[in-house]
Amino acid sequence: MAEDDAIFDPSLKKKKKKKKTAFDIEAALAEGGNDAQDAAPEPDTAKEDEQDDANVDIDLDFTKKKKKKKKPFTAEDLDAVAGEGKDEGNEGGNQDEGALDDNFDLEVDFSKTKKKKKKKNLGDLIAEADEKHEDKENVDENSAVWMTSDRDYTYDELLKRAFEIMRDKNPDMAAGKKQKFVMRPPQVVRIGTKKSSFANFTEICKMLHRQPKHLLDFLLAELGTSGSVDGNSQLIIKGRFQQKQIENVLRRYIKEYVTCHTCRSPDTILQKDTRLFFLQCETCGSRCSVASIKSGFQAVTSKRAAIRAKTA
Amino acid sequence: MSIQNLNTFDPFADASKGADDDVQDGLVHIRIQQRNGRKTLTTVQGLSSDYDLKKIVRACKKEFACNGTVIEHPEYGEVLQLQGDQRENICQWLTKAGLAKPDQLKVHGF
Ligand SMILES: [Zn+2]
Repeated sequence: MAEDDAIFDPSLKKKKKKKKTAFDIEAALAEGGNDAQDAAPEPDTAKEDEQDDANVDIDLDFTKKKKKKKKPFTAEDLDAVAGEGKDEGNEGGNQDEGALDDNFDLEVDFSKTKKKKKKKNLGDLIAEADEKHEDKENVDENSAVWMTSDRDYTYDELLKRAFEIMRDKNPDMAAGKKQKFVMRPPQVVRIGTKKSSFANFTEICKMLHRQPKHLLDFLLAELGTSGSVDGNSQLIIKGRFQQKQIENVLRRYIKEYVTCHTCRSPDTILQKDTRLFFLQCETCGSRCSVASIKSGFQAVTSKRAAIRAKTA
Repeated sequence: MSIQNLNTFDPFADASKGADDDVQDGLVHIRIQQRNGRKTLTTVQGLSSDYDLKKIVRACKKEFACNGTVIEHPEYGEVLQLQGDQRENICQWLTKAGLAKPDQLKVHGF
């Protein structure tokens, strides 16, 4: 437990440098433009993992360490990393330009190490760009082999060609690439023996663009417990919960109430209409109702004698 | 003799009953709750009242080697309650016994 405490220390919040994970939807939105190109040619192991998960709608991955190149910085984050040095600042700037692009990255990746990103400087970026360029050429060559020769094309070649054209013409097509959606992990610490604190609860609500109350209701209903937001905007939950447990619940929340059920875009609005909540997608325009939050049956877990004493 | 056609008929009469369906949404909700210390409790809500829950709990207790009980709840009907985290077990058991289809099971909790 001591180890856990060390990792989930809320003071990590202050020491951004050591914070091992990042980031948020904004950053995710800012990506994409870059990812779009490298989506096709990249025989990465990470990539393979993703394909394994392909039938799971979005890869809501909190734990996988990605090797993928990513620069999840936005203006927002810039404040946070301001102290970290010039080169990062530059990167942030680049990223902002990328933000104009309306692609996004849909994978909820809570565990991406910041180190990876830190290593990246402009030189690397250029090198990468070259790499991508080469890849692209290779692909073109491959797919064009049969065009110049006499032999017939194979099915695979044609299929590949069709997909390439499709991707070229529709860079923001959801099916064409794996979308990523990077999340900051919840910071969960134990308070004493009976309570847990979800320190960045409010921050996460902001990232997800959801009312704290909605997320609160969901969390408490799922965990079958009670809790409230305290003065420091942290959520105090009754019971002992670990970070990964809260992550699990958050992941389910995002899947049901944040990402579009049709296109997986996180760019959605949750509206209440009469008694039902509807998820309105800003990307594809779909609108669908989402399950209402019900805590359902709650068993009596506290000492019955104590309850009797209270009610009597 | 009353004329059938002139009887008032409210086509939405049974719609008001829909509110009850809110509680029984056809899903079996499997939840976990923390008790004191490391102890937990699994509750199973929404099993069809056609089944004899008492028999089910008896079988479950034996199968999972845990204690359990059936609780009568005014709103949620009969609820199965088992000691410990039996969520995996009960899901498998219910499907195997054919009491619920996998897509009817909704597992909550962490
Ligand atoms: Zn959509």
